Amino acid sequence: MAAGRFFSGRAILLPFLLLSLSLLAGIFLSACEAGSQEPDPRAPGPDALSVRLLLQWNHQAQFAGIYMAFEKGFYLRRGLDVRILGGGPGKSVPEALRRGEAEFGTMFLTAALEALDKGTPLVHTAQIVNGSSLLLIGRANRGIRTPEDLRGLRVSLWGDAFHGAYLAFFRSLGVTVREVLQNWSVNLFLRGVVDACAAMDYNEYHMLLQAGMEPGDLSLFRLGDYGFGFPEDGLYCLASYREASPRVCRDLVEATLEGWRYAAAHPEEALDVVMRYVREAHVPTNRAHMAWMFRNILPDIVPSEGAEVPWRPGVLSREDFERTRDVLLQEKVIRRNIPYEEFTEGASPRVP
Amino acid sequence: MFPRRSIAGRLVLLLGIGVGCILAAVVGYGWRASRDLLEAETKERILAVAAATVARIDAVTSGVEKVVRETALLMDRFPLTAEEKAMLLEDKLRLHGELFGMAASLGGTALPGTVPYVYRGPGGLVRTDLASGAYPMQIMDWYTIPRELLRSAWSEPYFDEGGGNAVMATYSVPLVKELAFAGIVTGDISLEWLTELLGTLPLGSGYAFLLSRNGTFISHPVRDFIMNETVFSIAETLGEPSLRELGKHMVRGGSGFVPFRDFSKKERDATPSHWLAFLPVPSTGWSLGIVLGKEDVLAPVAALSSIQLGLGGAGFLLMLGLVLFVARTITDPLKRLEGVAGKIARGDLDVPVPDLSGGDEVASLAESFTRMQADLRTYLAKLAATTAAKERIESELRIAHTIQMELVPKTFPPFPDRKEFDIFALLDPAREVGGDFYDFFFLDETHFCFVVGDVSGKGIPAALFMAVTRTFVKAIAKNASAPGEILARLNDALAEQNESCMFVTLFCAVADLSTGECAFANGGHNLPFLLRRGMAPERLPRLAGCLLGAMEGRHFEEGHLCFGRGDRLFLYTDGVSEAMNEAGAFYSEARLEAELARCAAADDRFANVRSLAMEIRTTVDRFAAGAEQADDVTILVFEFR
Repeated sequence: MAAGRFFSGRAILLPFLLLSLSLLAGIFLSACEAGSQEPDPRAPGPDALSVRLLLQWNHQAQFAGIYMAFEKGFYLRRGLDVRILGGGPGKSVPEALRRGEAEFGTMFLTAALEALDKGTPLVHTAQIVNGSSLLLIGRANRGIRTPEDLRGLRVSLWGDAFHGAYLAFFRSLGVTVREVLQNWSVNLFLRGVVDACAAMDYNEYHMLLQAGMEPGDLSLFRLGDYGFGFPEDGLYCLASYREASPRVCRDLVEATLEGWRYAAAHPEEALDVVMRYVREAHVPTNRAHMAWMFRNILPDIVPSEGAEVPWRPGVLSREDFERTRDVLLQEKVIRRNIPYEEFTEGASPRVP
Repeated sequence: MFPRRSIAGRLVLLLGIGVGCILAAVVGYGWRASRDLLEAETKERILAVAAATVARIDAVTSGVEKVVRETALLMDRFPLTAEEKAMLLEDKLRLHGELFGMAASLGGTALPGTVPYVYRGPGGLVRTDLASGAYPMQIMDWYTIPRELLRSAWSEPYFDEGGGNAVMATYSVPLVKELAFAGIVTGDISLEWLTELLGTLPLGSGYAFLLSRNGTFISHPVRDFIMNETVFSIAETLGEPSLRELGKHMVRGGSGFVPFRDFSKKERDATPSHWLAFLPVPSTGWSLGIVLGKEDVLAPVAALSSIQLGLGGAGFLLMLGLVLFVARTITDPLKRLEGVAGKIARGDLDVPVPDLSGGDEVASLAESFTRMQADLRTYLAKLAATTAAKERIESELRIAHTIQMELVPKTFPPFPDRKEFDIFALLDPAREVGGDFYDFFFLDETHFCFVVGDVSGKGIPAALFMAVTRTFVKAIAKNASAPGEILARLNDALAEQNESCMFVTLFCAVADLSTGECAFANGGHNLPFLLRRGMAPERLPRLAGCLLGAMEGRHFEEGHLCFGRGDRLFLYTDGVSEAMNEAGAFYSEARLEAELARCAAADDRFANVRSLAMEIRTTVDRFAAGAEQADDVTILVFEFR
């Protein structure tokens, strides 16, 4: 603006011309460069098979490996043109699979068992998260030191697939609590409505810290420590789809695991991508929280270097499955004793 | 302390330092004081702005609270159909512009069939039913928290997906029947207007932000913060526990005005370069923060200080110039006087003194110079006369001294042909003319007389008295051969004409060279030592006899001894025994005795009288060790062979 006052009439023409020329040259050059560059790894070729993958929740670091598999072209390299669909409250993965709105979906093992029990003919294709993140967090300043201290007090729990694990947990301890349904926020706990709430170590626990609570204010009970830690995120599709396209299933699983391995090796790059997905989807969160989530969920997906784990990445062990199933049966969350083979291979006609 | 330089230079330097310090102190204090004042004033102003803003927010929120409470009361009292409820909510929204939406859910914990919700859509009021569709009302904070607490409450701000589809906060009033939850009526406010409101605050380059109860940013100029970041997540990202503590203070309803490092800036400051004023919003439990850059606030102070510094500096330089000028008017005449003084010092008493008019101190100094010049001339003339007189007297004294020295025999051995005895004497006069003397002579062929005396006092009178005494001794000894008689007659002769009351001590001995017998008398003199060959020195016995010249008719006892061959008699004056060293100690007779004993015990090094006398003289000098000789030193050694 200030420069304009010093150039008038003809004098302004020359720099303007030069500027325009250089701009044009720049555009031309970049066009040439783009032409000579490798194609965008995310751009599908004409032969790619279109597949939709519905996440069980809002975009967040929980799905970083899936994003990386897409961003780095691991899906496309296997001929899969994957569209990642963000989930969230009100979006049901089994329902979407049933309606044909998505070919694949991610779900907690407990959620998948429940869906199968209720009639969605889905099949397990890969176990992504092999550990349990479920916590019960009590208010230390209200004297909650053990789960037994919660007897008769108000405890908020999610109403969905995690419900069964908590019920089993309380039943095993012989503790009856006043249950309040909670949503995705931790406000019931923060406002003091409840004395304890259900939480995940990679999410709600850190949300409490980010709302000004101190670790010392909180008593943490890890459900896994009481025998109620179940494998979590898995990849599912309808049994019929798997029957028809077993290779697609296998390729999708391989690419997803490769994406996770890549994310583990490039955590900052993965976080950048996560933040892009989060911002595009207007998910209210911040990078510090996503970093926490990524750090905390990763060891349950890709074992840290040198760590001895009783599972193999991507694989659901029969033992874990049966333990989970038996607790859900006992809690009457499911009614049918679903066999491991049916869960992992589909209710094929071979089974009478 | 200061290098030697001109008065003007020193004056400028000292004044420069002094005034410079004062100037720096004044400007520094001024800067500090106005900074503190401005800081206090800013604090007040910003807290006032914050309080006004909080009041405006509170007016809206408490307005909403009132409407929702009234509506709840109405619905509690009068059973309405769903349609009537929706119409009532619409009416309320039309009447109260600050409301974004309202909902009513009546019928206890079991969800009712319809939950009318009315909100402001883009094209006017929109009516929906929250009970239909997938809206998860039974887990929404605005529903669960008041239901469980049975207490009205503001929800955390949230994006109401499937409801109002806006970022809002909801005020919920639960209906309670017989201590049980019987429904809920809510009112929403959109948070957009808050950002607009905070944007219009008169904060210059500062800004305001709003935190929810959980510390979430409800409003901030960095839009990316809103609903995404909490003050605690920022503290975590930046690794600043102090920000976390500040955040806790804020969300717990604290208020304050603190130095602050602005966390929304890309470049973090090393030190807090901002201020943060914060106040709680009582109704909702939010916290309003106002951030101001210190630099922006203090810019006027900095400008004022630099102007002060400029003016002060200019005045300072001007003052130094003036000081230099004034100093020159003083020192220039002084320099001229200094030139004159130099010439006078070199003896030019006739150099003209510059005529300095003005009557100031320098002028009177010049006058004094003129007077001094005249006085010096007079003084020098007098001095010349005095010096001439003094020189004459001194010359006379020198002559007197020479005469005194010539009075005593100086040639040794005095009688080389007489083998029966040997004698040696020395007289070292003090600086002035003293009163010591010695003498020796033959009374006849075999009788040899020798004396050592000391006249009281010093100077010409003593020398003259000594000369008189010596003359008397020689004259009297011609007629009297006994020492006692000699002394008695000498005493009478001296006392007779002694107007000046002087006196003399004298030791007189007469030796018979043929027999070795010796008679002696003492007129108040130091007792000589008899040095018998091969024996320890012994003092001669004390004899009756007093000072000579004090009183006539005195008797002097006579002593006798007999010399063996090689025996010696050692005579001396108090110049020997009372010689002093620097410490003020006397040589003393005891030391003399010891030295004599040492010499006697030695082999033939002191075989002749001269060497013995010289040795003792040397010990005296050694003892004095450079101290000035106060009295004449006289030694006489007689040896019988």
